[in-house]
Amino acid sequence: MRKFFTLFFKYNALLLFLAYCTIALLFIKLQNDNTFSKLRTSGIEFSAAVNEKLINLAYLLNVDEENERLMRVNRDLLTKVLNFETSAVDERNRLKIVNDSTFNASGFIMARVVDRKFSDRENILVINAGWKQGIKKDMTVLVPEGLVGRVISVSEHYAKVMPVIHTDFKVSVVSDSSNSMGILSWSGGSEAIAQVEHIPISSRLKLNERIVTSDFSTFSLRGIPVGRVIRIKPDKLFYAIDLRLTVDFSSLSQVLVAPLKIETEKVAMSSDSTLIEQIP
Amino acid sequence: MTRKLSLSIIILCIIVLVQEFGFSRLTLFEVFPDALSVFIAFLAVTQGQKTSTSFGFAAGTITGILSGNLGLNMLAKTIGGFLAGYFHSPEDSHATAKQKTRHFYAAVITAEFSAHTVITTGYNPLGLSPEYRIVTLGLLASLLSLILALIANRLFVRKSFAD
Repeated sequence: MRKFFTLFFKYNALLLFLAYCTIALLFIKLQNDNTFSKLRTSGIEFSAAVNEKLINLAYLLNVDEENERLMRVNRDLLTKVLNFETSAVDERNRLKIVNDSTFNASGFIMARVVDRKFSDRENILVINAGWKQGIKKDMTVLVPEGLVGRVISVSEHYAKVMPVIHTDFKVSVVSDSSNSMGILSWSGGSEAIAQVEHIPISSRLKLNERIVTSDFSTFSLRGIPVGRVIRIKPDKLFYAIDLRLTVDFSSLSQVLVAPLKIETEKVAMSSDSTLIEQIP
Repeated sequence: MTRKLSLSIIILCIIVLVQEFGFSRLTLFEVFPDALSVFIAFLAVTQGQKTSTSFGFAAGTITGILSGNLGLNMLAKTIGGFLAGYFHSPEDSHATAKQKTRHFYAAVITAEFSAHTVITTGYNPLGLSPEYRIVTLGLLASLLSLILALIANRLFVRKSFAD
């Protein structure tokens, strides 16, 4: 017995090692046993849960960086979406004008509205066509629905358009049924309503009658729709007429610019009566 | 003695958690530094073979439960602790701090290489060749653990080895 204890104390590290190894080997042998399987599953579950928490913590610590990355992705996607949407709208508007069978747009210059300054008094449009594209001052700007305005200044690639809804804008108009003639103007306020002046109370103008540009205009082609009569109020000599404009200025994007009307002789004759005598 | 043992057990538990959820992510060619081997080697040098074997067994048990490979981890860490115990420097040995440090590094390499060899022999999920997983990966794992031991020596162990 003493010999055994002497041997044990002398080699106790080795014996301890052998005991541990035996237990370990026993566990290896029994590792597929149901009890050990449960223990193993619990351990893996605990480990996975802690790992998940740590990953979440790391994610939270890096959330600023992640946000920045997502913002960059969002910005790129938004740019792409905007580009696609803009292209789609431009193409749709272009096709709308090209496919309008009631309107012969040959010889017209197509342009896009690139800037607008709208207020209740002074409205100005800027289109992306200038003298390089053949735009000249006083050309008529229109869409298939009707008259938009008049070119008032031109640069190399852009032109400024005074729209119908500008207080300085005037154009000679005529009603298509009663043939009543007057001057279209806009006195501010609603962008859908304009006025027609100088129609005598003797005329047979009716409500809802269509108004188009007349041949008397110095810049506009005749027959361009302008609007429909919505109110007729008799005054002393003339009617006070309100007109609903056919063009929706709030959604204007693509426009056409009509070739310049060259009637210098007519203009000269209108302004100077002595010219008649000079011609044989 | 009891206080020392309790402290060692607490440190072991902390190191197991740090190893499982920290160092085990620092993989290089599927191996990572093993803080447990470093701790067992430290116990082997300072407290002897019995302690290092027992703590190797305990460490193997906990890591085995967490990794799902109980028996093999027990065996690997026990063997590692037992072999590292041969580098024990008893207090009456009059070994210098430098000698103790050398023993510590040797114990780390021995514990890690032996434990790694046992684990890769019994568990080879990637189907790597025995030469590659035992020699190349074993040496790489030992090297990584040695680097960790160097850092640990700088930060904590040096004071214990002081003359």
